Amino acid sequence: MQDANLQRRLILNIPTAFLLLFFVLPLTALVVLSFWQTENYKIVHDWTLMNYTTLATEGAYITFFLRSLVMAVGVSVTLVALAWPIAYFIVRYGGRYRIIFSLLLVIPFLSGEVLRLIALQGMLGPAGLVNGALIRMGAAPLRMIMYSNAASFIAFIYLYLPLVVTTVYLSLINFDFRLAHAASACGANRFRIFTEVVWPLNLSGTIVGFMLAFIPTLSASLVPRFLGGPNGTLYGMSMAQQFGESGTWALGAAMGVVLFLFSAVALAILSYGVDLRRTGFTGLGRQ
Amino acid sequence: MSNASSYIRIDNVSRRYGAFKALDDVSLDISKEEFIAILGPSGSGKSTLLRLIAGLDRPTEGRIHFEGKDVTELAPHKRGIGMVFQEFLLFPHRTVRENLAFPLRMRNEAKGEIEERVEWVAGILSLSTMLDRYPSQLSGGQQQRVALGRGLVARPTLLLLDEPLANLDRELRQEMEIEIRRYQKQLGIPFIYVTHNQEEALSMSDRIAVINNGRLEALGERQAIYDHPQTPFVARFVGKSSKFQGVVEPDGATVRLTRHDYEFALPSDKTFKPGDAVEIFVKNERFDITPKQHGGAGIPSKVVDVVLRGPFLEYVLETDRGDTVIAVKPKRNDPIPLQERVLLSWNPADCHIFKDGADDARR
Repeated sequence: MQDANLQRRLILNIPTAFLLLFFVLPLTALVVLSFWQTENYKIVHDWTLMNYTTLATEGAYITFFLRSLVMAVGVSVTLVALAWPIAYFIVRYGGRYRIIFSLLLVIPFLSGEVLRLIALQGMLGPAGLVNGALIRMGAAPLRMIMYSNAASFIAFIYLYLPLVVTTVYLSLINFDFRLAHAASACGANRFRIFTEVVWPLNLSGTIVGFMLAFIPTLSASLVPRFLGGPNGTLYGMSMAQQFGESGTWALGAAMGVVLFLFSAVALAILSYGVDLRRTGFTGLGRQ
Repeated sequence: MSNASSYIRIDNVSRRYGAFKALDDVSLDISKEEFIAILGPSGSGKSTLLRLIAGLDRPTEGRIHFEGKDVTELAPHKRGIGMVFQEFLLFPHRTVRENLAFPLRMRNEAKGEIEERVEWVAGILSLSTMLDRYPSQLSGGQQQRVALGRGLVARPTLLLLDEPLANLDRELRQEMEIEIRRYQKQLGIPFIYVTHNQEEALSMSDRIAVINNGRLEALGERQAIYDHPQTPFVARFVGKSSKFQGVVEPDGATVRLTRHDYEFALPSDKTFKPGDAVEIFVKNERFDITPKQHGGAGIPSKVVDVVLRGPFLEYVLETDRGDTVIAVKPKRNDPIPLQERVLLSWNPADCHIFKDGADDARR
């Protein structure tokens, strides 16, 4: 009895300690730092709201934030729209190769993000595969995809598609497709089978996929740095610069807090806005 | 071709999966207001037949007509059917009310009409108090009633039931058997009931279609199927019976069992040649048991166990050759004691005799 209690406490306490040490503590430090100041690469321990005032009033930061927000929403919505047919195809028609198909999606992850971005740079850049071929054929190069927000958009889609496909795939593979037969026997056509049964019952999985793309896109710094070009600065990239070149750590911390709060709010809206029971979630697993 | 009483007509329907014949040239006419059971062991093709009628699958050959209209190529949602599944398959993200309203909404009924129909079906199935619950909050029997309600609510042309009681416990099953039959009589539409459980088929249906190896093995009134099986398979599958091997004696009028010292007169309607090997099926309740000391003809056996089954007693008998035979008799206050030596016999008119290997010859 005593042993079981001890064991339970250990199992609970180890992750708790881990989270406190590596998540809550740094976050607290970040929040504290965001209310301080940095002058000449030194931290000044004066409590002030100045960082937040700067973020809320200076045009550049507002632009970066809105650009990031539009990018994140656009990327996540596009990804869900792309991932659904792919995942659906794998689940319905993949047969015994389903697991191989879904593992293939992971292959790009084996190389590392920077490498993949450099490869994309090679694809989309002025002398890259796409534009190089266009120029060879005597056509005008596509300026749109050279160091622009469109290039960043393509990169985000490329980076996060496997994640979203995998989450939707996992949701669909656990979906009982006989429910679709039942709906069909109840008089539902293909479109209504989808809107009334398949989509709502896979909504929670889809939301997870959406958030897995939305949150990193919102705070992305590498993609805009490699591919965004002069007008492609995103919030996360600007934040990284505060900690790097400009040495304005306190402002960077405030940007971090803003991102954190915004992501938390988005998560809260999505999870409270969706009645889990309306997605077939019983907390009891599939029955 | 089409006759007036056939409301649903299944015309020489086959379904092949590659070289495998799941369903082989099945024809079946079903009249309005009929309760028909499709009975067969698992893998016999009975569920395939149901899926073809529902439109969830298409036949390789043959046509299906509803009320004289060819529906073979129609999608399920255009056939106007109701269907109840073994696993219920209620929509887990919808309340009972929404589950019941679903078929009506799919037919774009007016809101008032939907409410009225849901109230009506909830009334019949005693679901009125649980309309706002989710399926996961209901018991198995309640879920089953919702599934039935969802199948019936939109006034379907016919109701298809795919082993709807298989997931319920025995007591509930018997209760639901009576209920389901009552709804069918009340609504006046055909119910096509697929089951591997011959008791369900016998207790509920007007007619029984026995399916085996994708073929329609027998079709008829339930009493006829039970009392006069036309094939060895039906004799074995419907009701509980014991099988014996025998040979027709040179006189052509007597059958002698090969393993046991018992012979009986061949019923006059059976024509076998002398020397024919035959299979004899006797329903468990058709055996006569007489104590050995009374003498007479019969398979010498002894009582090894007596099982009480409500108003019946099941005698487990062991023949002198070591075979086990079960004989069912009405309960008496003085059952035959254990280890008693008895003679097992039957009225020749009560057994079913087929030429040996008749099942194989048909295949």
